[in-house]
Amino acid sequence: MFPELLNQSAVILIFSVDAILLMALIALKVIHRRRMTSHEGRRKDYLGLLSRHISFENHTEPITEPIAEDPAFLDALIDMRNAITGDDTTLRRIVNHHGIIQRQMRYLDSSWLLGRRLRAAVALAELGDETSADMLIRHLDDREPEIRIQCARGLGRIRWTPAIDQIVSRFGREIPWVSTRFSDTLVGYGTRATWPLLAYIRINHRFETEGAVLALRTLAQIQDDEAVGPLLAILAETSDLEVQIATVYALGEVGSPQALTALDSLLDSGEWALRAKAAGALGGLGDAAAIPRLVISMRDENWWVRRSAAAAVAMLPGGTDALYRALDDDDPFAADAAAEALTDIGELVSARRRADEGSRTEPLLAHMRSEG
Amino acid sequence: MSEQKKILVADDSETIRALLQTALESAGYEVDVAQDGPSAYELGSAGDYDLIVLDQLMPGLLGLDVVARWHEEGMEVPVLMLTGVDDDRTAIESFDQGVVDYVRKPFRIPELLARIRMRV
Amino acid sequence: MALEIMEWIGYATIGYFIAMQVYMLFLAVVSAAALRRNHHLRRFGRVGEMLSSRTTPPVSIVIAAYNEAAGIVDAVRSMSIVRYPRFEIVVANDGSQDDTLQVVVDAFGLEEVRIPYRPDLDCAPIKAIYRGRSGVDITVIDKENGGRADALNAGINAARYPYVFCTDADVVLDPDCLVNSMQRVVEDRARTVGVGGNVRPINGSRVQLGHLIEASVPKRVVPRMQILEYIRNFLASRPGWSWMNAVPIVSGAFGIWKKSVIVEVGGLTKGHLGEDMDLTMRVHRHLLDKGVPYRIVYEPAAVLWTEVPDTLRVLRRQRIRWHRGLMRAVRDFRGMTFNPRYRQMGMVIWPGFVLFEYLAPIVEFIGWFVVPAAWFLGALNTTALVWLLLIALGMGLLNSLLALLLDESFGYFNSVADTSRLIAVAVIENFGLRQMTVLWRIRALLGGKETKAWGNMERRGVANLARQE
Repeated sequence: MFPELLNQSAVILIFSVDAILLMALIALKVIHRRRMTSHEGRRKDYLGLLSRHISFENHTEPITEPIAEDPAFLDALIDMRNAITGDDTTLRRIVNHHGIIQRQMRYLDSSWLLGRRLRAAVALAELGDETSADMLIRHLDDREPEIRIQCARGLGRIRWTPAIDQIVSRFGREIPWVSTRFSDTLVGYGTRATWPLLAYIRINHRFETEGAVLALRTLAQIQDDEAVGPLLAILAETSDLEVQIATVYALGEVGSPQALTALDSLLDSGEWALRAKAAGALGGLGDAAAIPRLVISMRDENWWVRRSAAAAVAMLPGGTDALYRALDDDDPFAADAAAEALTDIGELVSARRRADEGSRTEPLLAHMRSEG
Repeated sequence: MSEQKKILVADDSETIRALLQTALESAGYEVDVAQDGPSAYELGSAGDYDLIVLDQLMPGLLGLDVVARWHEEGMEVPVLMLTGVDDDRTAIESFDQGVVDYVRKPFRIPELLARIRMRV
Repeated sequence: MALEIMEWIGYATIGYFIAMQVYMLFLAVVSAAALRRNHHLRRFGRVGEMLSSRTTPPVSIVIAAYNEAAGIVDAVRSMSIVRYPRFEIVVANDGSQDDTLQVVVDAFGLEEVRIPYRPDLDCAPIKAIYRGRSGVDITVIDKENGGRADALNAGINAARYPYVFCTDADVVLDPDCLVNSMQRVVEDRARTVGVGGNVRPINGSRVQLGHLIEASVPKRVVPRMQILEYIRNFLASRPGWSWMNAVPIVSGAFGIWKKSVIVEVGGLTKGHLGEDMDLTMRVHRHLLDKGVPYRIVYEPAAVLWTEVPDTLRVLRRQRIRWHRGLMRAVRDFRGMTFNPRYRQMGMVIWPGFVLFEYLAPIVEFIGWFVVPAAWFLGALNTTALVWLLLIALGMGLLNSLLALLLDESFGYFNSVADTSRLIAVAVIENFGLRQMTVLWRIRALLGGKETKAWGNMERRGVANLARQE
């Protein structure tokens, strides 16, 4: 049925490929492994070398050209840079002296190999200085997402303020994971990023809700008191639920008591997600005046709201006592929310204890099981 | 003649081990290293150290568990914990068990050295 | 006339196997491309960033435990040192007959607590809930026996966090497995609903205090064959499936899921022998029906180690169980086969799975009889037959070697001896081992109450595994 020649050729072809793969496997095993071990070995040696330079003043052990161009040395530099902070004048001196930044900038710009460009981006992020700032900004538009992330990281590390606007403006158009990392970088900038973020939100919250939400979460982590006023303004302006929730979250994290009234009124919102977030945010404000309202929210019909309210009470001064009192609440769901919150903060509410005081546990657990 | 103080450094990152060993030796201490929880525990129990620098997160046995075991056995060597993650609750617990100080990673070498000098 | 039919069937049978190898090769090439990119990105770890970022999503590790008193404490302890900023461990004690529950409660100082338990998923009645105060948050659910799926459902009900990591009690986690797999979630939080990880057999490797010291290939053939099999599956198939967003099975030993999605599809199916495949396919079907953009991906760098059957007897039970699960899945999801509504899953991967995974033993079994008969009767040309068999064999070897090559970049097996053993088994398995699995799967097709849902493997306890000879 099949021409013999075809079969023969097929078999020869296939077994040749097999042989090639076999040889490739062995070769990889032997050669690649040897190269990796040697790379690792050199990296360890360089770690020792760098440690000595850092620890001893005027250490004279030479760092030669071949060493400076060795990728293993670069890896060691990056590792060392990650381990210590602040006092890295020694590392900076070494990096400058050997033109390491310039070399990596060349690679980032013109190399074809993804691996090399990636290593260059990481190196610039870790070891870079103002001279690399412009290039890093340019590569915020690089086609490789990971490189974009590293460039933003690098700009954050050198605290390059002009880059803040560049990074914020890309929130709306970036893919989610890159913009999340951008957000982390902005958090690193701290309060210097507050106003650019607020400006971005004010302009874009109607059209780019995802970007606005991310910007709000970023503000939440920066926790700048100055943001409270503008945040309250945004809360009043917006009608988008996601944006509202994110703003409430930010207000809670910032923690300024100015937000108390606005958050309090949201406890009556029609949207359970918003009620829950407002309850959580009240916990972050640190004002015990919110406790009575929160205890009422512990009787909410929605379990997530109840749970958030109880968790919020736990965070406030005098909250633990309030929760213990709430264990006796008429509403069994509120009591359970209290029990859960207490357990979560380490005050294990023993089921046995409750059982001793009148066997409410069994029917309650049974009730829980039969519900919904 | 003052005797040389002995310090044990336990961390799973070799960078930190290399760096701390060099830095501490250059400051005049005698240094031993361990690279995971179990060996840290063994070395720490057997050796006669004046201070132990311990990483919180190590494979095999958490730094906190090591400290807890030492505390149970009545060992009285001060421990300086290196931590990379925020965790207030565990910090409070461990102060009762012999941890005398916490240093966040990444750290500054001079600061770490100063804190060590204070305790040894 | 009959002769012609026999000739046709004979050639078709062998042709089927060649086609299968070509399909595997296609998957392997796609996987290779996917892995290459992954390799670059792994090199410059985002691990540090994820560990210190506050936006890293918290995860609940959920395990189902039945009669695990021997190893449960070590397992939980090894899980508690996973490197991840926020996570909890939930153990569902599925009505164990031994003192699994007591052992865990004592070891971690747990107390029975009263907290609301939300039964989002159906499961057998809960008897009590225990929580602890120290270190990692550990919750233990004590419930009546209901099987693994049922116990996992209970654990998922009690899980506090939006992502659940379902796994077994007797595994060794790589400390970075959570970070590596959750990176895929963080990449695309909105769409990612499931992440599968790399499961590697631990047999023959050195373990100390729940921590893998050195991986190595055992000398015994049965576990060795499985190592090759797992490598072929997890490195030369799954990355390809993942790239096409058509992963038909997220392993029950390593499956990270968005909790809300599991609740939407009603949780794991009680009593199903292949509950992991069942869950994965149901999620695909549900989300494709809903028209919601989603993805279920696979992360090869997220690793966990598990014990695989050491003897033929235990392996047989496992394979029969697996095939029964597959049979049920094929039946349950036949509506998806060649259904354009289910896109690449329905049109390519699921049919491929049915055709080459499910039907393979049947075709091979028939071939055992038809091919020799046809040859004997002169319907098949001897030389053609030999060449074709060689082609099938050669291609099978090719796929195994390719898989081993792809595994090289992970660097688990350091010695030439390890690699040679694997290459050797790639050849040997065709002469006896594969035939045995075919027989077992035919046995599975014939039905019967072969195994219980748990499939008790006589475990040695992962913590006690020493290097086996």
